[in-house]
Amino acid sequence: MPLEQDVLWYKRAIIYQVHVRAFCDSNGDGIGDFPGLNQKLDYLVDLGINTIWLMPFFPSPLRDDGYDIADYNSVHSSYGTLNDFREFMDSAHKRQIRVIIEMVLNHTSDQHPWFQQSRSSQENPRRDWYVWSDTDTRYHEAGINFVDTEMSNWAWDPVSKSYYWHRFFSHQPDLNYDNAAVREEVWNVMKFWLELGVDGFRLDAVPYLVEREGTNCENLPETHAVLKELRRKLDEQFPGKMLLAEANQWPAALRPYFADGNEFHMAFHFPLMPRMFMGVKLEDRKPITEILQQTPEIPPSCQWCLFLRNHDELTLEMLTKIERDYMNDSYAQDKAMRLNLGIRRRLAPLLDNDRRRIELMNGMLMSLPGTPNIYYGDEIGMGDNINLGDRNGVRTPMQWSGGWNGGFSTADPEKLYSPLIQDPVYGSPAVNVLSQKKTQHSLLNWMERLIAVRKTTAAFGSGSIEFLYPANHRILAYVRRLGEETILVVNNLSSAAQAVELDLRRYKGNILIEMFGKNIFPRVGELPYLLTLGPYYFYWFRLRKI
Amino acid sequence: MREMIISELTQAMQQFTRGFAHILPRIIVLVIVGFVGWVVAYFLRIVLRSVLRLIKFDKLSESAGASQLLSKAALPSATELLSRFVFWVAWLGFILLGISVLGVFGLQEQIAKFFLFLPRLFVALLTMFVGLLCAGFFSRAALLASVNANLPSPRLLSVSIRTIIIIFVLSLVFEEVGVGEQTMLVAFGIAFGAVMLGLAIAFGIGGKDLAQQFLETRFGRGGTADEGKEDELSPL
Amino acid sequence: MAEESSLTDDFLGQLISVGEVDLLVGVPTHNNSKTIGPIVETIQAGLLTFFPRERAAIINADGGSRDGTPGLVVSAAIGDVQRSSKMYALRTLHSISTQYASGPARGTALRTILAAAELLRAKACAVVSPESTQITTDSLAALLRPVYADTFDLVLPTYRRHRFDGVLLTNLLYPMTRALYGLRIREPYALEFAFSGRLGSQFLAQNAWQEEPARTGSEIQFTLAAIAGGYRICQTFLGTREHVERHSADLVPAMRQTVGALFSSLEPNFTLWNTKNGSEPIPTAGVEQEFTLEPLRINRKRLREMFSTGVAELESVFRAILAPSTLAELQQIAGLDEARFRYSAELWVKTVYEFAAAYHKSVISRDHIIQALAPLFRGRAFTFLMENRNGSAGNVENNVENLCLEFERMKPYLLEIWNGRE
Repeated sequence: MPLEQDVLWYKRAIIYQVHVRAFCDSNGDGIGDFPGLNQKLDYLVDLGINTIWLMPFFPSPLRDDGYDIADYNSVHSSYGTLNDFREFMDSAHKRQIRVIIEMVLNHTSDQHPWFQQSRSSQENPRRDWYVWSDTDTRYHEAGINFVDTEMSNWAWDPVSKSYYWHRFFSHQPDLNYDNAAVREEVWNVMKFWLELGVDGFRLDAVPYLVEREGTNCENLPETHAVLKELRRKLDEQFPGKMLLAEANQWPAALRPYFADGNEFHMAFHFPLMPRMFMGVKLEDRKPITEILQQTPEIPPSCQWCLFLRNHDELTLEMLTKIERDYMNDSYAQDKAMRLNLGIRRRLAPLLDNDRRRIELMNGMLMSLPGTPNIYYGDEIGMGDNINLGDRNGVRTPMQWSGGWNGGFSTADPEKLYSPLIQDPVYGSPAVNVLSQKKTQHSLLNWMERLIAVRKTTAAFGSGSIEFLYPANHRILAYVRRLGEETILVVNNLSSAAQAVELDLRRYKGNILIEMFGKNIFPRVGELPYLLTLGPYYFYWFRLRKI
Repeated sequence: MREMIISELTQAMQQFTRGFAHILPRIIVLVIVGFVGWVVAYFLRIVLRSVLRLIKFDKLSESAGASQLLSKAALPSATELLSRFVFWVAWLGFILLGISVLGVFGLQEQIAKFFLFLPRLFVALLTMFVGLLCAGFFSRAALLASVNANLPSPRLLSVSIRTIIIIFVLSLVFEEVGVGEQTMLVAFGIAFGAVMLGLAIAFGIGGKDLAQQFLETRFGRGGTADEGKEDELSPL
Repeated sequence: MAEESSLTDDFLGQLISVGEVDLLVGVPTHNNSKTIGPIVETIQAGLLTFFPRERAAIINADGGSRDGTPGLVVSAAIGDVQRSSKMYALRTLHSISTQYASGPARGTALRTILAAAELLRAKACAVVSPESTQITTDSLAALLRPVYADTFDLVLPTYRRHRFDGVLLTNLLYPMTRALYGLRIREPYALEFAFSGRLGSQFLAQNAWQEEPARTGSEIQFTLAAIAGGYRICQTFLGTREHVERHSADLVPAMRQTVGALFSSLEPNFTLWNTKNGSEPIPTAGVEQEFTLEPLRINRKRLREMFSTGVAELESVFRAILAPSTLAELQQIAGLDEARFRYSAELWVKTVYEFAAAYHKSVISRDHIIQALAPLFRGRAFTFLMENRNGSAGNVENNVENLCLEFERMKPYLLEIWNGRE
């Protein structure tokens, strides 16, 4: 069955972020692959997923988990072949699941043939494909992203005896987007995958494409011009596809990435994410409401992408110092958990494996304005291992069962690309898909239910949001509206039961219908509407006037 | 003749003896009632004295100024006086009760009147006592307020208030006991005009902060014009 | 548990919304629209600067202002200040206001604040006077920190004052509190202070709220309750206390609130103070006291005149209160001219102690006893002014110290005349 044609499909998407390598190994080599992923598509269908975001699966020396790409037009041999990829795409589309893939535009691996050629000599035709300099003093106002490992954004290349520019690891030289040939080739790469059927791209590290002296080399107008050009070509040649921006910026700086609806379709709302964690810890809605108040309006065709966790550290870059210190003290008291102005932990360990808090956070993820993105394994409450270095602790194999290798692979455990989580609380015998499928009230089943209820209304994905500000600051309450549909969401951010009186006079006469149990709550009248909530509890109400 | 005299005498003796025999029990009853009354009155006196001592009635009476009056009149303390008064009233009451048993015509009516008068006497005394208390309190309050407000002639003010209140109280007392009612009423009517002054001052006491400030401004202006530039003490 | 019946439903509802807090700052007001805005902003700034992570609330207990004071409290916002000084509010900071039932009374205002503190389970609380225009963010922190760190239960202020400010404090309240209760508390009657939730709950539970001094003199009662309960007390220097212009009519109400409260505390705390000898200093952050020496014109002649008038006119009252020898001495000095007039420390102490004993015995109405002390205090104030008009700050402090020692030395006299000791 062909995919439903809906230009704004991404507004009702439920995105599942997964690394091929980590999901399922079909050939027993200890590394997940496309055939394995293919086998697990029904699991995702049951969960309610309709969009998969694949992390980089390209040939790569894997010094940055695949974000150092050595060949854009192929599949890493460990994950399968292009054919495997095609089969996976077909299977996904048959199940009405769209697939977006990673596209790392900003830089390549230093092993990429382009860089090898560029560095070989000053006269090489690809010399200008990267940003070279005789000194390391240019663009000195640009910040360093990987502060824990990199001392400078310039690296000395002994081969070409000059410096090259890199905003990430030194083995990831930045492409030079001032070069038209680079821009052309990048589009060709994208076109290659679009022709294979991908439904969109998550463009990695987009703020850094272009550099200019005297600036911080982020979010420059020239960068936006490049992106607009790519979008134009996409719309012309492949309508209905989607571009998702990874731009870790303040909301005001993110706004330009939507332009007038002619740049990105979606962008991650980075500043909101840590504030959700902060709000729950402070038991105060202030951080959440404030950042959303500061979030500018975006074009009607555009969408925010919301997430709780992903493959990177929980970035605290978009916080003030006082907020960052608070987050570190609250969530990463062990300094080994901290990396690059962030915290490298999974969702469940961050929330002390507290089921109520996990549910609350997912409830907010699904009800705040935007498209939710679920990081693989968080739907069953997987744990992490900070001792694995870098951010590998949150990229461990998916836990399918309590058996051999957690059901991930038939290989010897020593051959796995990464050790499984072993501890008694989060290890695969305790946390796995199979046992949670069999347990009625497991987190997995609850997540399925949550997603199913979310899908019963388009208001969450496409509706407006109006915050209510009850006197009790521990309650985060808002109304989502789309056309005739009105949804009231009430979240208790506190570890204690709370009472709240909501001013719902505007909705006088409406009956509240709780969306999970479909039970009726009292009608809204003139008086403030009293609700009581258990610790970390939340309500979704459909307002109905009969 | 002799026999007639003897017969008459004998008759008279017999009549006297019959009469005496008739009244003797009543006299005995009178004596018994009188004796019992003495015991009860004595008991009441002891109890009342203890109660009054417990509630420190002497102190109250001192505050009212009654103790001073009593000591000037070489009378015992208020507690003692009241206890004795109650003793005598109680005993007298019993005696009168005994006398009423004798059945002397006309006496019973007077005795009843006496008993009806007692509550009014008690109320009058109470009114007097409370009135003295109030007079002392308010006169002292006025004295202190006017001294602290630096008003001229504070003592005159205090005495005036005390006098007015006492006159008022006395008129109530006399009216209560029914002595010279008309006279007192007329006299009070004349003095009532002065009560308005008392009320005005009482209002000033009640709103003493406001009144003091106002009066100070009024009266202080003439005397302290040259000190207008100086600060007042800041106690805290 | 606190008596909640005096809290209005609306106030209770607001408290429910606030929930548990770590810090609570109470501001009792009555027609303070001229000063309250900046004070509340300073409090907000202080909390955000020094306690950014703590849950905090500002509670305004208002006595029925007609000038919009409560509205100013609730609407005070430090947006501009915040942005310019990079203060950041991690949490919602609540500012709520309530009007208590009776007319303006500091005791009732304090009770409302204590009730709120107990219901909100505040660990550390501060009370700030609406007239404290000298308060800064640092001084608020200096008050709250020792309590929040659980080092002390009561933090009282000390100030840099004009030498002739607070004469009642330096000549009666401080020396008498020190002599009787054994602690050198410079400001036993403080308009801004901080206390622990523990101490607040204990004071709230005491049943002294219906009596007049409690309604009006609760600050000093609070200090005495802390002493009586063995709570940890310290002082902290809060800087300069501005001279406030007063009216002569302010003296008697001030004495009711302070001296009345002090005298009425003696009876229930008899077992505490009758055995204390001498006094000890209490931990103090910063200087204990500083005097400034700017010229200040005070109507000295009036003071002496009112003293003399008082002695003459109130003789009948004094007879009930003072010993005959004391009264005679007062009458003798009342007749002296200004140059020779001197109300010595010893005579003053005797006077005060005899008044305290008379108050205890209720020889006349207690309120009248306090009023009767006012003219005598004026005489003592006159002597204090004359003795210190030309001296250095050190001299002033020495004179105060000598007076304190005189109070301590004559304490046995008070015990002797106390009569009817418990």
